[in-house]
Amino acid sequence: MPLIRFASLLALLTAALAADALDLSRKPHGDTELLLADQAFQLVSVERSAAGVHLGWVIAPGYYLYRQRFSAESVDGGAPLAALRLPKGTAKHDAHFGDVEIYTVAVDAELPLARGQTAPTRLKLRWQGCAEAGVCYPPVTRIVDVTATP
Amino acid sequence: MSSAKSNLAIVAACVLALAAGVAVFLLRPNAAQNLDDASASVGATPAAANERMPAGLKLADLDGRAFSLDDYKGKLLIVNFWATWCAPCLHEIPVLVKMQERYGAQGFQLVGPAVDDIEDARRAAPGLKFNYPVAVGTPEAMLDLMTQLGNEQGGLPFSVLIGADGRVLERQLGEYSEVELAALIEKNLPR
Repeated sequence: MPLIRFASLLALLTAALAADALDLSRKPHGDTELLLADQAFQLVSVERSAAGVHLGWVIAPGYYLYRQRFSAESVDGGAPLAALRLPKGTAKHDAHFGDVEIYTVAVDAELPLARGQTAPTRLKLRWQGCAEAGVCYPPVTRIVDVTATP
Repeated sequence: MSSAKSNLAIVAACVLALAAGVAVFLLRPNAAQNLDDASASVGATPAAANERMPAGLKLADLDGRAFSLDDYKGKLLIVNFWATWCAPCLHEIPVLVKMQERYGAQGFQLVGPAVDDIEDARRAAPGLKFNYPVAVGTPEAMLDLMTQLGNEQGGLPFSVLIGADGRVLERQLGEYSEVELAALIEKNLPR
């Protein structure tokens, strides 16, 4: 039936456009082209939360961050902060680093605060990752302001 | 609902879906535009004709002794930037060690600046069995040196091949395979 064929064609076209836009293959663009570290790993959230400070990164397709290479410390002075709470990553075995965990899409981390502990206003954050194409980026260190919850 | 109305509803739904797909496509993050800013590719990139290595690049070895890349004029030189946090670098180093062993007597020289904390590089060096000079400095100084040698993107491993006459021949972002590196060295050894 012509209408069904028309509808199927439109549905396929829609799916193809959306898949391209969302890059469902999650391969690096152009296979060999590389982004800068700040384009590959974008820090998108440093926000006061109910439990502490929420930190969020978005990772470009074809890139990954090492779970073990995140760190956060206050630059305000005062009481030391607890360890960063990171989600479980994807297991990866590396011939040199052994069993590690990586993130390939996004990272939602929490910096917990003890009861009554004042939230830091500025943090020194560190992260490090690589491209699946076989190139790694130097560790990134950033001092960032903690924003209030909107 | 009549058949005509039903068909109209299907067509309208399809057109709406297509419009949504087109909108998602048009509003996607423009990766190509981002890449214009990054402009770095994995693999080998030939240098511009007659490009020469910057003169006077000073380095310090693992024991703190100063040396210069100019010391290797007359040799085929590869400057290979590496780091302890870079798994592809650690994977590539045994191949480089093998090349130094095989071609060192024929006028080939490797130098390995570490884009790393000095102590981390010193701790890792014995296990990597370097048979060529490793250069250390602050990570910032090593990144600056890497930029001077043509890597503004900052990724590792990164190698620069410099001919015996001081001309930059090519740059490599990512690992060399043993076969391609041996062929490259044999092609460019000083005559």
